[in-house]
Amino acid sequence: MHAWQVVFSAPKHGNDPWEWEDGAAAAPEDPATGRGPRFAVADGATEGFGSARWAMRLVEGFVAADVELTERSLLGWARRAQDAWRHDPVLSGASGLELFKLDSVGSLATFLGCELELGPRPRWRAVALGDTVLFHVRGHRLVAQFPSIAADDFGTNPAGVPTAPTALPGALGRVDFAEGDLAAGDLLYLATDAFAHWAVREDGPALWSALAGLDHPERFRELVEDRRAAREMTNDDVTLMRISVAARRPDQLVVCV
Amino acid sequence: MSTGTYRQWVSRATPGCVVILLDRSDSMKLPWGATGGSLAAGAALAVNNILLDMCVKATIEVNAPVRHYFDVGVFSYGARITGPGGEGVESAFGGALAGRGLVPLPELAANPFAVRDEPSIDAMPVSVKMPVWVDPVHGYRTPMCQAVEVAGAHVFDWAAAHPDSFPPIIINITDGMVTDSPYQGATLQDWVKRLTAIETSDGPALFFNIFLSPTDAHEVVFPNTPAGLPLPGPELFALSSELPPTMVENARADGYDVRPGARGLAFNVGRSTLLRVLQIGTRVPDRSR
Repeated sequence: MHAWQVVFSAPKHGNDPWEWEDGAAAAPEDPATGRGPRFAVADGATEGFGSARWAMRLVEGFVAADVELTERSLLGWARRAQDAWRHDPVLSGASGLELFKLDSVGSLATFLGCELELGPRPRWRAVALGDTVLFHVRGHRLVAQFPSIAADDFGTNPAGVPTAPTALPGALGRVDFAEGDLAAGDLLYLATDAFAHWAVREDGPALWSALAGLDHPERFRELVEDRRAAREMTNDDVTLMRISVAARRPDQLVVCV
Repeated sequence: MSTGTYRQWVSRATPGCVVILLDRSDSMKLPWGATGGSLAAGAALAVNNILLDMCVKATIEVNAPVRHYFDVGVFSYGARITGPGGEGVESAFGGALAGRGLVPLPELAANPFAVRDEPSIDAMPVSVKMPVWVDPVHGYRTPMCQAVEVAGAHVFDWAAAHPDSFPPIIINITDGMVTDSPYQGATLQDWVKRLTAIETSDGPALFFNIFLSPTDAHEVVFPNTPAGLPLPGPELFALSSELPPTMVENARADGYDVRPGARGLAFNVGRSTLLRVLQIGTRVPDRSR
């Protein structure tokens, strides 16, 4: 069994692409440790400081670090991420206003990390904090949603990984875990809240068929812009990672530049 | 009833507009409660605090410019400190921004005219380094109509240039009765009607009022009826816009018992309440995280 991912993203309407404050990362399986491929998506707080750096540090750390999917191990991983974020060399050039916000506000990011086991009994295991969501789709039908958030409940969950050290143990106490079996042809989607909220409302074969067929970043951005214009999707940074699971690797690799 | 949806998010493509009208009449010299400072000093401190809040919210990353999320104006009425002096309306900004009307937030953040040790807004025994854009001033009468007229001219031009933005928010901070109504043949009610007739596609401009009390009077925050308000409470209630739903949510989250039909009026407020009301009244739809 093999798995590969593609990431689609769109910044808030009115912002430039480089102002996207989500994070997405993936790492292949590690034969040395036997660990399966990992995938992660995070959504940095719009009102935070350094949120893009925080979201990226979380996802890159999760897919690369020696961290287990347990609350205790995740706490250590998040502490190391906080320390690295707080002592980022780029902060040496911070202004008084920037340092004030770093100390008084900091940042927060929702997080969803996922590891696949592609052995005899393929399955996914995931950890979530906040409202970044994993959708497991088989045959254009939704098999599982994690975390299970109803359409009316998006935006009401402030959980996330904070940059404030004192807030970390309490925040990690709210972490959720889930797992599910996989089959060849399955698709996993990791989506930040604006897209996930819309997907929960639109759930059905037409939605999942359309998302399975997304083949270009511009088509994704058009989809997001159209839904925003129709006021069906909130104007937020949007990230969608599509993970394909199949018995053999794809015959072609398409790169959009 | 307001007719707007008030749902537009603030971004650089659709920035917001906040205008503060600051009473600088003679009565603002009165001491404010037990703080030892005057109403004028407390109001200036609160205005500087809310301007700093807005700059902080728009500060996103190191070595990145403060984002242009708002255009901000502070206009004073009463004593003038520029030009010929005397009584009138003028931009309350000092230093490099003196005389300026609406100023983009990045420019505001870059141009406080001083950074001072200021007492905590909550009268705690601490002081903090605060950028200063507005100084306390008091004198003369209360030409509120003229202030609304001046704000209206700026707001009209701004709304024309930003037709899809959240509508302009105008917050009037005063401790007294209007002394120039009627002005140019129009009453204060007429001037406010003209002001709140200015709109974007997201709704009409919002006009909020904060009435300061030098004594520890009973505070009334976001009432939904003028009943029981002493003068000039009923008049200010009639002039104040209804709070949009997002601000109702913010106010409730801040602990206020906000009823349906609540207006953007705070009456007989003390110093810490002034800042909280400014924070609620300037917070437009955004992402909480």
